[in-house]
Amino acid sequence: MTSPAPAIPRNADYFSFLGLPRKLMISGDDLEQRFRGLSRQYHPDYFYNAPPAERRMSLERSSYLNDAYRTLKNPMARLEYLLQLEGFAAKSPEEASKQVPPDLLEEVFSLNEELDEIRDMRAGGAEPAQIAARLEQARGPIDAKRAAHESQLEQLFARWDALLDRDAPPAERTPVLEALRARVLERNYISNLLAGIEKEMSA
Amino acid sequence: MSKVVGIDLGTTNSLVAFVKDGAPVVIRDRSGDGLVPSVVNAGEDGTVYVGREAQRRLLTDPSHTVYSVKRFMGKGLDDVKGEASLLPFRVAGDAGGIVKIGLGSREFTPPEISAFILRELKHRAEAFFAAQGEVDNEVDRAVITVPAYFNDAQRTATRDAGKIAGLDVMRIINEPTAASLAYGLDKRHTGLIAVYDLGGGTFDISILRVEDGVFQVLSTGGDTHLGGDDIDLLLMHKVLAETGWSQSAERVQEIRKAVIQAKWDLSDREETTLNGKRFTRAEFEAMIRPIVDRTLEPCRQALKDAGLEAAQIDEVVLVGGSTRIPMVRRLVGELFGKTPHSELNPDEVVALGAAVQADILVTGNRDMLLLDVTPLSLGIETMGGVMSKIIMRNSTIPATGSEMFTTAADNQTAVDIHVLQGERELIADNRSLARFRLRGIPPMPAGLARVQVQFQIDANGILSVTARELRTDIEQTIEVKPSYGLTDDEVERMLLDSFEHAEADFAARLLIEERNEAESVIQATEKTMRAPEFADIAAKDLAAGEQQRIEAALADLKAVLGGDDREAIHEKTHALNDATKHLAEVAMNRSVQAALAGRNVKDV
Repeated sequence: MTSPAPAIPRNADYFSFLGLPRKLMISGDDLEQRFRGLSRQYHPDYFYNAPPAERRMSLERSSYLNDAYRTLKNPMARLEYLLQLEGFAAKSPEEASKQVPPDLLEEVFSLNEELDEIRDMRAGGAEPAQIAARLEQARGPIDAKRAAHESQLEQLFARWDALLDRDAPPAERTPVLEALRARVLERNYISNLLAGIEKEMSA
Repeated sequence: MSKVVGIDLGTTNSLVAFVKDGAPVVIRDRSGDGLVPSVVNAGEDGTVYVGREAQRRLLTDPSHTVYSVKRFMGKGLDDVKGEASLLPFRVAGDAGGIVKIGLGSREFTPPEISAFILRELKHRAEAFFAAQGEVDNEVDRAVITVPAYFNDAQRTATRDAGKIAGLDVMRIINEPTAASLAYGLDKRHTGLIAVYDLGGGTFDISILRVEDGVFQVLSTGGDTHLGGDDIDLLLMHKVLAETGWSQSAERVQEIRKAVIQAKWDLSDREETTLNGKRFTRAEFEAMIRPIVDRTLEPCRQALKDAGLEAAQIDEVVLVGGSTRIPMVRRLVGELFGKTPHSELNPDEVVALGAAVQADILVTGNRDMLLLDVTPLSLGIETMGGVMSKIIMRNSTIPATGSEMFTTAADNQTAVDIHVLQGERELIADNRSLARFRLRGIPPMPAGLARVQVQFQIDANGILSVTARELRTDIEQTIEVKPSYGLTDDEVERMLLDSFEHAEADFAARLLIEERNEAESVIQATEKTMRAPEFADIAAKDLAAGEQQRIEAALADLKAVLGGDDREAIHEKTHALNDATKHLAEVAMNRSVQAALAGRNVKDV
């Protein structure tokens, strides 16, 4: 016997589907447990003998559950999803990566100079070890920025969750969401920069 | 009530299992043999032999015999052109199209060949259930396993094979996951498990977390073209280098049989003979080391994808016949830092797990649940020949992804979409799955249409696509043209064709069953007589002339084995059975004593 799997409610989001508030700090164990519990309810394995409509719903629901689980498991994916839900989505990734976030201007400027010099060194026939050391040095400030960034994010996550706990009005939420969005943009930009350096190092 | 089974459709051997009183069991033939060699012989007269009989015909009628067809599933001719040289059958088909297997004057697609094997398993199970006195012994539904690293085309080809064989394929599940299910049965515990599956033709590694009866795959990796076949090929090259390369197809198959025997020997012994020369395990290991090494990088990548260190893995499970090779066990043990499990027969564990999954599907029993992942990222072709990923690899399935498309010209009513699978950036480096044409977009100025294409990977790991124009809410029609697959019509026609041949196959089947039984008695006898302790047995335990009587009975049976006289084979099989009864008792007593003494009795 199978119990019916209702369709995904129209106003559902990943948080509500998993029975979670829209908080940014999530206990991994709790998430896993909810995921397993709901999988046991909705998985197509349990609707093999059900009528076609129920089978379709089971497929929809468990797909949605898996997408939700994957998104909420990863803190950055979770943050970007929250921003989108709250109407603070960053622009498309291509657009976002074109514009240097203001807080990073200085680092980006000096990194680009360094990279130019390294390319010159390479063209001048410098030793690979020498180039690698120079690259390592060039990424130092960016790594430091990223570490600082991590702790900023942690604080913002905590602030957002506290606002939710006391059901704060939108006027208080907006600045936190804007700060979070700025961090997302920076983080994506830093990731691209580091990927650029990796590429330079492996070239 | 008709029966459901689990099927391991292997590169080298296939098996069928079912759940009896809550526990999975492999269905064996009357002589206790659970393996059906995945070998098919199709004569010019339309007679088809599968299994041991086809394996025998590999030596006498190689040009009508195909093995390792699994390696061709879901492939195009261009993918496999390079490996046709030592195969006894023709590799045919049209350039850019699905590969075909040429046996004499006939050509078959890989799903048709696989369907012969599946039908053999279906018959085997039905004969078993009939013998059990079941009123309805029909087997019409099955769970079939595939390598975890199989792509969409390979999975679809497997499902098509099931349909052609007249089976409702309830579910396609991954082999390592099936194995973990079989292992998890008796120990309901929590932990992280690595399943290392090196079979005849494919390699998989899957990392799972088991908790509350949920078997959740965290990551998977592998190579669908890496296995025991590659080891055999290396050894064949060694022999051919010694004997000269131009050999008849029959001779090549004899060499293949000999190298496989040598490979098996070296799992138990330090040396054997190959092509009349001493061949040591050390030489063998040095030769195959590069092949085994190729399995280690996917293991490291799977650990990384799961976000784990090797030391965090609680248990390592070995699956597939090639894990009998001591060096494989050693290297896997070293990589994960623990001794791998091998309590269950590595040949049978996958079929057992498939049977468990089939049982879950029909009973709705919620004690256990498999949550698997898609092994490869799914994407579409975008500008500049770059693949844009829509569903990432290692996503739990079922999974969805969607992408928005628009039109480039005014009043454009169709958009072409190219779907791919793989991890590389450029589409040329990835696997083309299908090309779709989205039609029926309402005419409107360029760039205004908003067509949402939804990609759904179901619990089988198989893709389907739907599309909707959002402004008008009109559902689009999608024509799927699989890059290397069969259309629904083709599958339907092949199923109808197969019914026409069903009657002709029946008489042949009875003969085959007799031969299979004979073959297994021969094998058991020869194995006992080849064992190191046989000399001791012969000297101490056998009566005068007993060994000669056994050898004579063996020769008698072999003499009639190739013929078509079913009665004679039956009679000589019994004669050999009688002649070896005493020897079997002696050997068994010795192995029991050895077990009591704590020795390894695996091959006594």
